[in-house]
Amino acid sequence: MRQIAFYGKGGIGKSTTSQNTLAQLATKFGQEIMIVGCDPKADSTRLILNTKAQNSVLQLAAERGTVEDLELEEVVQKGFGDILNVECGGPEPGVGCAGRGIITAINFLEQQGAYEGLDFVSYDVLGDVVCGGFAMPIRENKAQEIYIVCSGEMMAMYAANNIARGILKYANSGGVRLGGLICNSRNTDREDELIMELARRLNTQMIHFVPRDNVVQHAELRRMTVAQYNPEHQQAKEYEILAEKILNNKMMTIPTPITMEELEELLMEFGVIEDEAAAIQKLQASGQ
Amino acid sequence: MGLDIEANEQLIGEILKAYPEKARKDRQKHFQVNTPESINSCTCTLKSNMKSRPGVMTIRGCAYAGSKGVVWGPIKDMVHISHGPVGCGQYSWGTRRNYANGMLGIDNFTAMQVTSDFQETDIVFGGDKKLEVICREIKEMFPLAKGISIQSECPVGLIGDDIEAVSKKMAAELGIPIIPVRCEGFRGVSQSLGHHIANDAIRDFIMGKRELAETGPYDINIIGDYNIGGDAWASRILLEEMGLRVIAQWSGDGTINELAIAHKAKLNLIHCHRSMNYMVTTMEKEYGIPWLEYNFFGPTKTAESLRKIAALFDEHIQENCEKVIAKYEAEMNAIIHKYKPRLEGKKVMLLIGGLRARHTLGAYEDLGMEVVATGYEFAHKDDYEKTFPEMKEGSIIMDDATAYELEELAQRLDIDLMGSGVKEKYVYHKMGVPFRQMHSWDYSGPYHGYDGFKIFAKDMDMTVNSPVWTLLKPGKSGLRHKEGAGL
Amino acid sequence: MKKDKLVIPDHNTLFATDPYVKQREGKKAFEAPCSEQETAEALAYSKSAEYKDKNFARTSLVVNPHKACQPLGALMAALGFEMTLPFIHGSQGCTAYFRSHLSRHFKEPTPAVSSSMTEDGAVFGGMANLIDGLENSVALYKPAMVAVSTTCMAEVIGDDLQAFISNARQKGAISEELPVPYANTPSFSGSHITGYDAMLKSIISTLYTRSGIEAAPGSGEGTGEKLNIILGFEPYTGNFAEMRKIMAAFDTAYTFLGDHSGNFDSPATGEYSYYYGGTKLDDVPKAAYALGTLSLQKYAVKKTLEYIGGTWRQQTVGLSAPIGITATDRLLEAISELTGLPVPAELTEERGRVVDALTDSHPYLHGKRVALVGDPDLLIGLVQFCLDTGMEPVHIVCSNGDNGFKEEVEALLASSPFGAGATVYIGNDLWHMRSLLIGEPVDLAVGSSHLKFAAKDAGVPLIRVGFPVFDRHHLHRYPLIGYQGALNLLTTIVNTVLEGLDEQASGFNHDLVR
Repeated sequence: MRQIAFYGKGGIGKSTTSQNTLAQLATKFGQEIMIVGCDPKADSTRLILNTKAQNSVLQLAAERGTVEDLELEEVVQKGFGDILNVECGGPEPGVGCAGRGIITAINFLEQQGAYEGLDFVSYDVLGDVVCGGFAMPIRENKAQEIYIVCSGEMMAMYAANNIARGILKYANSGGVRLGGLICNSRNTDREDELIMELARRLNTQMIHFVPRDNVVQHAELRRMTVAQYNPEHQQAKEYEILAEKILNNKMMTIPTPITMEELEELLMEFGVIEDEAAAIQKLQASGQ
Repeated sequence: MGLDIEANEQLIGEILKAYPEKARKDRQKHFQVNTPESINSCTCTLKSNMKSRPGVMTIRGCAYAGSKGVVWGPIKDMVHISHGPVGCGQYSWGTRRNYANGMLGIDNFTAMQVTSDFQETDIVFGGDKKLEVICREIKEMFPLAKGISIQSECPVGLIGDDIEAVSKKMAAELGIPIIPVRCEGFRGVSQSLGHHIANDAIRDFIMGKRELAETGPYDINIIGDYNIGGDAWASRILLEEMGLRVIAQWSGDGTINELAIAHKAKLNLIHCHRSMNYMVTTMEKEYGIPWLEYNFFGPTKTAESLRKIAALFDEHIQENCEKVIAKYEAEMNAIIHKYKPRLEGKKVMLLIGGLRARHTLGAYEDLGMEVVATGYEFAHKDDYEKTFPEMKEGSIIMDDATAYELEELAQRLDIDLMGSGVKEKYVYHKMGVPFRQMHSWDYSGPYHGYDGFKIFAKDMDMTVNSPVWTLLKPGKSGLRHKEGAGL
Repeated sequence: MKKDKLVIPDHNTLFATDPYVKQREGKKAFEAPCSEQETAEALAYSKSAEYKDKNFARTSLVVNPHKACQPLGALMAALGFEMTLPFIHGSQGCTAYFRSHLSRHFKEPTPAVSSSMTEDGAVFGGMANLIDGLENSVALYKPAMVAVSTTCMAEVIGDDLQAFISNARQKGAISEELPVPYANTPSFSGSHITGYDAMLKSIISTLYTRSGIEAAPGSGEGTGEKLNIILGFEPYTGNFAEMRKIMAAFDTAYTFLGDHSGNFDSPATGEYSYYYGGTKLDDVPKAAYALGTLSLQKYAVKKTLEYIGGTWRQQTVGLSAPIGITATDRLLEAISELTGLPVPAELTEERGRVVDALTDSHPYLHGKRVALVGDPDLLIGLVQFCLDTGMEPVHIVCSNGDNGFKEEVEALLASSPFGAGATVYIGNDLWHMRSLLIGEPVDLAVGSSHLKFAAKDAGVPLIRVGFPVFDRHHLHRYPLIGYQGALNLLTTIVNTVLEGLDEQASGFNHDLVR
């Protein structure tokens, strides 16, 4: 069984990319998969389940009073492509401890033997590695391969670099490795080159460049993956390629995160940001 | 091993050799051998109130222990919630012996463990809603409770619960003061910050909130006496005999009313300076109330303190003061006459909280005993500065000493009596070193005042001269009581 | 000595003297106290049926619970192994509390260190503290093993012990040779027994994995032992001695998996060593060769038994505290079955003597109504003892019991007419017990020192059994299990009953012979 995790800046399309890819992995390559959503918003499985949101482990635990009173069947739901789905869930923003929630939920799943007989367990993890709890999926005996979803935008790359830093911390003691960057295109200039260059500096690969296509949004509005909504569409093919690359991925590396200055230089080089002089000039020009 | 400055400095150096380099350098800063200069000019080069080194077996506790355990817990007519998981409240339940009159569970809530018993779901989803329900249930279960304090445990601070908002809302709903105290155990480096936080909560929520029907020229407060084994009662009786009127006792056997009216006093008397100095300086600033540090351990210091207190009042009080001292003189002489010969020259080592490591020195000296090393768990620089002049030249002063250091010192200094806490106690029993538990008076007390000194003297004699120590086979570290035992 | 006898009143007598009584009354002027009438009314109300209903309707407030938190148990588990230093990762105050708590019960030292995390640790994680702590503690206290557990602080921020410990090795703070088992022991789930289980399992599995030994149940001729024995979260050092006695009578080899009787009952010799006794570290992996594992607690060591049954593929038998004749019979049968050896004649003879004692005392026990408080396994043992002797359990409160426990006790009660009047309460506390004792009075309360408040309010004598016992000395040094334990418990109970008869005697019935 392989345990993988998708990390990435919030709003980058991490859940969408992961679900579309995993749907291909299940239907085209016959893999037994479980998705473990580790975002307190609990929206990592809705495209597979075609629902708004499923009952989360923590939501049910809160109703019962304790997580020990839960049965596995109550929180695991089967969806498209026979993919099994679990949402950890968590508190409303601004209260409690979402990180602890993830620890609680994953401990529960492991103790209940939820992973038996699977080919893949995939963790979908919120944004940045903000605290110890969000690093839970990359600890020893958990996810061994991390895929970072990013794009050619500054904040996405900044987050990707930070996540690489988090992985490095655990890579030395445990076995976690970076499997690659997935570029979820935002149609910025020279985006593929930029991400490939970032990947090179992080000692990894850009495993796939997923072009932007409206069919993804159309499918999403119907709470579906492209594999289910329009399996013949070219975009489905793109996710299939990505799925195949992940299936056969042999490039597992310890990342080499770069400094903030280095990242800024890189962004300037590709014109994503301008140097100060140019920016001031521009401002003055527009201010007249 | 005597009080030789050089020898003792060397001895400390040898003991610290066992540490890895980084820890050794740090620990070195927490020892000072008393020299003529430090005695005269109080030069304190010793570091204090700093983080304990991990893994060294510090005897310190945490901020929660300082707030719930020390300052707030003794307020008897309030319910104190140990807010968080079950342990903290469980371990501090009824173990400190801060006596209080009243009926337990009816109008006195001291020796009780009231907790929100956090579960995993409370951590993940936050505990504020539960806390609201708990406040209501307290009002139902304990209708005579005059207030509630919320003593935060570690997780409450980590998950960002808003206990201040809950307190405000529930105080309005239930019509009693509800005080949030942010004393999570990870704050600060010891109990000390917990004292400060607890003091600040008293200042912000209760101090000055109520009036006293009549005030008088002799109104005073006892501050920083937690009534261990009845200490505050044995102190109060002397002050009242002297003609003073104690209007508030903080916080042993104390009430919320006493917290609220104390600002009407003419003088604050502070016993445990470390844990409540923040309040006397606050009251001085806000209400112009002068304060005086006093010491009621042993007849010498007690008489000295009584006179210092009386000097701040008129002749009438001063006359009374002399009468009080005279009244107890015969009794004290009888005690000293009996016990001094049995204790004379016995060497004592102390490692206690933030006050007693210096305040009890006089009591030992009254019995002819010699404190060769003393130190605190959580004292600050000012406490140490007050300690040097009280100690003999060549004696060792130490801060946050570890179990290892204390055990080494006890053996190398060949002490006759060790005074520290329950964690340390049984180690010394194994070593054959007589030991007194100096936090809760080893289930005895009171030790304050004249009545307390009698018990103190009896206890020290009983411990040092018990024949049980002669039953230990002499080992390498030796049988301590070669002669004179079992007198 | 006589001539200089001074009268020195202490805290028990001093404050009953006139000046102090006056002082107490005088102080009330500043206390804004409740009136005597208010207090009397509140007291009466607290004893009413209405109050009891409200008390049981509590959903969130917990008052005087009968449980502690996980790391306390983890600490005890660690001290069951040879030269093992308990290391608690998190805030340092916790460690001070655990050490005090255990020392108050056992009247013995409790060595343990903390990683002393502070506010910055809460923000940046506790790796640096853990690494420094391991380095310092190994240098000072020279353990053969360090057993790491966690406080709730480390658990909330999600520190990764596995990674931290492996980093400590990489940095050279500790050697590869030093075993460092670790257990996550969040205080916001389970109780002290859960923590005991987590640490015990971690120690056993860590030492087993490191040894490279392949489990082979029953193959242990020469190297391993026939039987492994677990006592669990055991507050009685005397129970270890009793098990040793029983096993010696069986004349068979065995290994205790976790034996803290050395550390919690060490001799005063003039020298202190940090470590006394404990299960030898080398014996732990070899325990995987044994025929089977017998545990005298089962609710307290669930995960450990699962591990032994699973990874070691051993037959496991989980009993609850064998208190009384019936339960001890069962214990001996279990040993007999696991080892294939007959029950030794000397134990059968001992049984006869203790049964004889029970027959002597039965008139004073029969029909006595009792209330019981304790950990799940202890309660099952105590209930069995009551049913053995004709005592009638009435209130059974278990703060840390689960539904499985409740069902088991109810089935046990249903097996005897003496159990018909009992109700089992799980997740309840001693303030509930107070209402129960007042609302439906009993003759005896049986439980830890913490029950003394409710027992006093209800005017019921307390038989101190379990954990913690702070206010009586040395009870834990005597066994509670086995036939000897049955005799000890019987002696305590019957003499408490007899003392009550003397105290209540009106004159003519101040009997010389009972």
